[in-house]
Amino acid sequence: MIIRRWLQVALVLVPASIVALGPILWAVSTSLKANDRIFAVPPRLIPDAATLTHYRRLLAEGVHWSFLNSALYAVAAVAASVAVGAIAAYALVRFPVPAKRLLLVLFMAALAVPSYALLLPIQSIFVQLGLFDTRLALPILYAAHVVPFAVWMIRAHFVAVPIELEHAALVDGYSRAEAVWKVILPGAMPAIIAASTFGFLYSWNDYITATTMIDSPGRRTLPVALIFFQGFHGRDWGALMAGVVIATVPPVTLFLIFRRYLIGGFSDGSVKG
Amino acid sequence: MELTRPLAEATAARSVRFVDVAKRFGEVVAVERFNLAIEPGQFVTLLGPSGCGKSTTLNMIAGLELPSEGRILIGDRDVTAISPADRDIAMVFQSYALYPHLTVFENIAFPLRARRRRTSEAQVASRVTEAAKVLGLDQLLQRYPREISGGQRQRVALGRAMVRRPTVYLLDEPLSNLDQQLRVQMRSELKDLHLRLGATMLYVTHDQGEAMTLSDTIAVMSGGRIEQYGAPKDLYRNPANLFVARFLGEPGMTIIEGEVHAGRFAAQGVTLDLPDELAGRHSRLAMGVRPEDLVAQDPAVAPMVGTVRTVEFLGSRSLVRADIGPVLASAFVEPDIRVRAGEAIGLAPLRADLVRWFDPRTGAAIPATAAVRLAP
Repeated sequence: MIIRRWLQVALVLVPASIVALGPILWAVSTSLKANDRIFAVPPRLIPDAATLTHYRRLLAEGVHWSFLNSALYAVAAVAASVAVGAIAAYALVRFPVPAKRLLLVLFMAALAVPSYALLLPIQSIFVQLGLFDTRLALPILYAAHVVPFAVWMIRAHFVAVPIELEHAALVDGYSRAEAVWKVILPGAMPAIIAASTFGFLYSWNDYITATTMIDSPGRRTLPVALIFFQGFHGRDWGALMAGVVIATVPPVTLFLIFRRYLIGGFSDGSVKG
Repeated sequence: MELTRPLAEATAARSVRFVDVAKRFGEVVAVERFNLAIEPGQFVTLLGPSGCGKSTTLNMIAGLELPSEGRILIGDRDVTAISPADRDIAMVFQSYALYPHLTVFENIAFPLRARRRRTSEAQVASRVTEAAKVLGLDQLLQRYPREISGGQRQRVALGRAMVRRPTVYLLDEPLSNLDQQLRVQMRSELKDLHLRLGATMLYVTHDQGEAMTLSDTIAVMSGGRIEQYGAPKDLYRNPANLFVARFLGEPGMTIIEGEVHAGRFAAQGVTLDLPDELAGRHSRLAMGVRPEDLVAQDPAVAPMVGTVRTVEFLGSRSLVRADIGPVLASAFVEPDIRVRAGEAIGLAPLRADLVRWFDPRTGAAIPATAAVRLAP
């Protein structure tokens, strides 16, 4: 009985993990193979002679700067969107904001608009504002995309925090701002982490916005920089895969650290008194 | 739980005064022309059914609600518009409102760590430990609220209130989430705490048992007004109006409305002689009598005759509920009374002076000086 259940589970999970993890494993494997071994027949998952040449190439090409750019844009976008999102969420929960429901629906609607539909108009606005091809362009756009999600996510958590907690902090001698900072925000950490992770992944993975808004090589993001290995060097698979591996490291690390909050852990560390 | 002297000495109990306080939420009047003076060190309970404005009143002292009108004074200080943090009060919430991300120690220490209090960490540690010892929480200081029981959470909430020795304690139905046994235990511990701290305590509850046992004074509230203010015994013996008469007591007074004819009070199933000063002045009256002040009698001679609806055996006595005319009367009678549902029962007030009289139009009590003579 137990064995049959186990088999059923395996029947679903094994193909799923092959589909999900296979390409990543293959990328890792390819990034470690010498150029003449990449297309060797029969293909080998574990390279017989592993080499770090491709990683050295990336460094030589200055891809680490693009990595830093990506990280900088993503972190700035996440910080801005979570700060704005938390403040907006608090206001929507505790203050008598007019047309509250409509506002929330608007936020949701904003999420539904595909960001590339707005790219060209935004590009021309940014050109006029002098933001095009600057380090501000992408954080602003990423933050704008993440804010609605952050508002919804954090608001859902604030709604569940009983007002008494805040009242207790007020009576205990704290100002309202202090009460929110010391009592309400720590309780909303799971939501904030979830919104941050979502925001980071979105910003980190974006290609189309980055390639539209940034021109100078020195301000490129990692996905944009990697694409150039496809054209200019005639499909440099080894370097490309090394880049993919590097690009995968931050999201995977984030996920491993915060998976508790991301998988059904949203009620963890809850507000029940 | 032993008395720690500094704890008792450092508490400077203050008086609390409401002057013509009103609170309206839009069109809804929550509290109306509220006047109340609480002496320093008193234990005062606001008692009333839900929605009577008692919690709103408490929130106004705490500063969590601003009164629409009137003034609130703590000691000599007008605190009407002062922020909760600056009122030097402590509050225990019905839901306890413990901070879920902080340990028991940190929860109790929280008020001391507020910037405006500037308590050194050494002082924080000693005061938290002291409060924890008084409340029997010393073993739980490193736990989180979710890891302790309801009764323990309740104590943490109390600890958080007493750790900084406020001038006034506000307690909003603090026992209502506990089970019956724990509630009775915490009730006596609260009373004990009040005696030892000597602090002014303002307590809100809808449970009259709590109000009666704990309070020096009770304010019975309904519809945002104080119906009566006085010592528990006074309120119970001499309710100022029909609301208090019905609300206090388990079950409350039996109220029967009737006519006055030729010096006698008459209602369906009831005939009582009235004292002279009542007989002349009123054409309609309402009589009120506590269930324990009634005795069973032969229906043929009893001044009150009704039909038994239920008989509840309670051990030391039985509670009889009987229809007297349109009224369901309650009476505590000897435990082995032999009446059954549907049978006639005669009841009589134990003593004439135990019957209370009310004006049925206003509901106000009519003080009767002379005893009511029972009809033969």
